Amino acid sequence: MTLRDEQLWFAGAVMSGTALDEADRRLTAGPTLGARERLDVYRRGYESRLVECIADDYPVLKIALGDDAFDALCRAYVARFPSVAPNLNAYGRHMPEMCSDFAADLARLEWAIVEVIHEPSRAPMTMESLAAVAEETWAGAHLVASPALRLLVSEYPANDYFQAVRDGHGPPLPTAQPSATVVYRSGLTVWRMGLTPPMHRVLAALVGGQPLEAALSLAGGEPEEHVTAWFREWVSSGLFVGVEAG
Amino acid sequence: MTNRFGLPDLGVGLGLRTVHYTHIVEAQPEVDWFEILSENYMQTAGRPLEWLDAIADRYPVVMHGVSLSIGSTDPLDRAYLTELRALRDRTRARWVSDHLCWTGVSGKNTHDLLPMPYTEEALHHVAGRVRAVQDFLGAPLALENPSTYVEFAAGQMAPPMMTECEFLGRLAEEADCALLLDVNNVFVSAFNHGFDPRDYLAAVPFDRVVQMHVAGHTHHGTHIIDSHIGPVVDDVWRLLGDAWQRSGGTSVLLEWDAEIPSFEVTHAEALRAKDYIGPRRTTP
Repeated sequence: MTLRDEQLWFAGAVMSGTALDEADRRLTAGPTLGARERLDVYRRGYESRLVECIADDYPVLKIALGDDAFDALCRAYVARFPSVAPNLNAYGRHMPEMCSDFAADLARLEWAIVEVIHEPSRAPMTMESLAAVAEETWAGAHLVASPALRLLVSEYPANDYFQAVRDGHGPPLPTAQPSATVVYRSGLTVWRMGLTPPMHRVLAALVGGQPLEAALSLAGGEPEEHVTAWFREWVSSGLFVGVEAG
Repeated sequence: MTNRFGLPDLGVGLGLRTVHYTHIVEAQPEVDWFEILSENYMQTAGRPLEWLDAIADRYPVVMHGVSLSIGSTDPLDRAYLTELRALRDRTRARWVSDHLCWTGVSGKNTHDLLPMPYTEEALHHVAGRVRAVQDFLGAPLALENPSTYVEFAAGQMAPPMMTECEFLGRLAEEADCALLLDVNNVFVSAFNHGFDPRDYLAAVPFDRVVQMHVAGHTHHGTHIIDSHIGPVVDDVWRLLGDAWQRSGGTSVLLEWDAEIPSFEVTHAEALRAKDYIGPRRTTP
């Protein structure tokens, strides 16, 4: 039996429960446990470790689904997606694919939070640097979005539900109602901000690198002072890290 | 006797955990050193590194990995090693350690420290990989004795298995690597496999030991799990005292990974080591 053979068998037994009946031949019994019982220590540890990792990334989804349904979902996840990375930072990324309807929207929101944690934070653009853009190039200038930013469009009010859970309200599962949210990191803190449809149109255009004048015109019938207030808040919140002349 | 690599006795340190970041950065408590879990700061460009930079600026840091998979029969992961070396350089880590184990095969990672069969084939396989890693890092690698819950059976025509300690000693010699002696793991494996932990210590080449670990564990009656939960039991503290005296003085670290209490409680538990070891012999 080569080392490779032993490892292929052991990994298969631990991860997929294959060829468990070979345990008595390949492993020794201990003082108190048989070979198969000793192997089961590793089998239990494998699944519970990955389930715990997913639960860390999706605490609100776990509340929404309930412990039993979430646990079953996680076990199905582990069976479908073995880890292939040195760490578990990105292990939970497939969760939205495993969910539907509201659960999928909520999973996307929680995964966006994980993603912005692992994106670099850059020094934010200031209103002063924006003011330094020459007037004749202003309309065509475009902003550079922070890498630690995600814009989400949902069929359900995922962010409202998330916030209600965080506030300890125990909310009911919501009915469908389109919503948009920006998730971003400023310094060490992750923030979430709900967006109205016109806010989302403008911010999505700015984040997408459209020229300033064109992006700001997407606010529709919103009063100009509203659009100016949004824009100032987004800039002061650090959603943008630079401005490039048009 | 001090270690043959000339690595310093950093004193009594603590495993760095995320729940303590804010306290450490804001209160800047007096701590001899921190051990970081290498993989927590890999494949990220964000917040974990920002916390780590602030802490590594203030405290001596050592890196402890769980995914080197030095015993695997898959090829060494060059991308992983490149990131590991960059992290070592970024943190100015005093040394890098991992475990005598494998974590997966065929490209998959179980994120567990899986046991090696202690055979001649495995010994030469691991020794070659340790040498390659040390060449890549340009520094000695410290390998930790893992807690194990199974032992492999020798085949009918095969020579008998080595003991873990014999394997580690021969590996350290053949690969010229350092050792991280986890005395809690010695205690756990001794119970699980029915050997005397004092016999294990008697066979350790202490001139290669650059660090020791202590931790809590979970006793299930039939077996012990290395859970890193709760305070260290007295038997493990006494084992530390024995091992530390044999080493002539080395860095000691507490690992606490489940139901982690406040920083003050965790640090106070680490400092209990001073009741069992002597004063620090060298300075960082």
